[in-house]
Amino acid sequence: MTQVHVITKYNRSSHENYIEQYYRLRHDVFVGERGWRDLDSENGIERDAYDDSNAIYLLAIDDGRVVGGQRLYPTLLPHMMTDVFPSLASRGVPRAPDILEWTRYFVVRERRTGRTDCRLLAAMQEYCLAEGIRQVTAVVEMWWLPRWQQVGFKVRPLGLPTLIENEPCIAALIDVSQRSLDTVRQMAGLRGPSLSRVGDLSNQDRVPYVAA
Amino acid sequence: MIHFKIEMMERAVRGEKFSYADEAFAFIEELDRLTAPDAVMDAMQKSLSLFGFDNFIMTCLPGPREKFEQAVLMRKWPKGWFELYATEDYVRVDPVIHHCRNTVQPFEWKDAPIHENAGPRALEVMNRAVDYGMKEGFCLPVHGINGYEACLSMSGKALDISSRTKPALHLMSMYAFERIRTHVSRASQQPAKTLTSREREMLVWAAAGKSAADTGDIVGITERTVTAHIVSACQKLQATNKTQAVARALQYRIITI
Repeated sequence: MTQVHVITKYNRSSHENYIEQYYRLRHDVFVGERGWRDLDSENGIERDAYDDSNAIYLLAIDDGRVVGGQRLYPTLLPHMMTDVFPSLASRGVPRAPDILEWTRYFVVRERRTGRTDCRLLAAMQEYCLAEGIRQVTAVVEMWWLPRWQQVGFKVRPLGLPTLIENEPCIAALIDVSQRSLDTVRQMAGLRGPSLSRVGDLSNQDRVPYVAA
Repeated sequence: MIHFKIEMMERAVRGEKFSYADEAFAFIEELDRLTAPDAVMDAMQKSLSLFGFDNFIMTCLPGPREKFEQAVLMRKWPKGWFELYATEDYVRVDPVIHHCRNTVQPFEWKDAPIHENAGPRALEVMNRAVDYGMKEGFCLPVHGINGYEACLSMSGKALDISSRTKPALHLMSMYAFERIRTHVSRASQQPAKTLTSREREMLVWAAAGKSAADTGDIVGITERTVTAHIVSACQKLQATNKTQAVARALQYRIITI
């Protein structure tokens, strides 16, 4: 059965294989399918400046195979919205210890008709609720908005849609709430938690993300 | 267009600068505060009239066997047009509807390609719309989770669609759609009747092709009890028989196979 695994600096060493799969899939999806040439690399791995020890990965894994994933990153550190897309957030880039930036979300092609999508979305809410995260920020193509809204996410625009490589994109702020988690779970018929936190100690030792 | 110009002039007189971005953000915040469906509709009509729109339809894209009337979420169309559109079943040949299935980007009606299979009827829809005062239009396709497909299509006599206005229009129509969709689905929602784990289990076996007797043997209960669970699941799912109950349970993702 598919479960979403939390991978942080605390348990990364025992999950390198999954992270490696995730980087390769990111290359397949973002460069291969979506055509983001800027991210292209010769080794077929897509890795950027934010894949450091502050990154938190929530990866959907089924029988040892990564089938989808997403990354969370502290907004108090320089992050994608401040470094690359500040012009999209004309109303200002929200930065706080309890706001994370949400990036590199995808579901592998063969799982796009199933529940993996909702499972990942539920996992994001679940993780943030457990960690006291209040909101997440993201830069996405406009067609994401109705999908999020349909699963009960409360989404606020941080600016007007702007064309990036001919595709209208938007910077958005998304609330974390039990209600959103309940809605997405209900839509997909997910009962109980989606997250597996084997070896991830971030919950216990309460080191603030910004400490690194 | 006229409303828009007056409003711009009034603001200019007051020394304020009109900003599409401010307008869009204010509209989205206003939608958040409104609870009554009528108030949401009014706010939407008022704000989208800034771009010249006065006719609207919000609809799910009907499946091959689904009636158009049942797919519509909200409409404000010229008198007689809805009736004609439904009677003629124009939804099957409408180039705007057709294009919605193929794109996630908003588009102007004039940019919706006339597909070959639709024949002369596709042009007929567009021409008849003009007869009802709907020459130009703009449409936002919506592609959701689980194959949900819908659109917000609108028109007016003199539209203000340009690279300057489009980003705000795109954003505002998306929020307008979302707000109406939640209102409509809330109003029509049946009180949720959840299936018990046993009822779901029986449907899963039925989906796998097992008879009530087979299922009884596998699970270790009597055939009679299996049937009782299935009957109860049928009632909760408003299904007339086991086949329909299985189909609905799969459709609503209550069970998976």
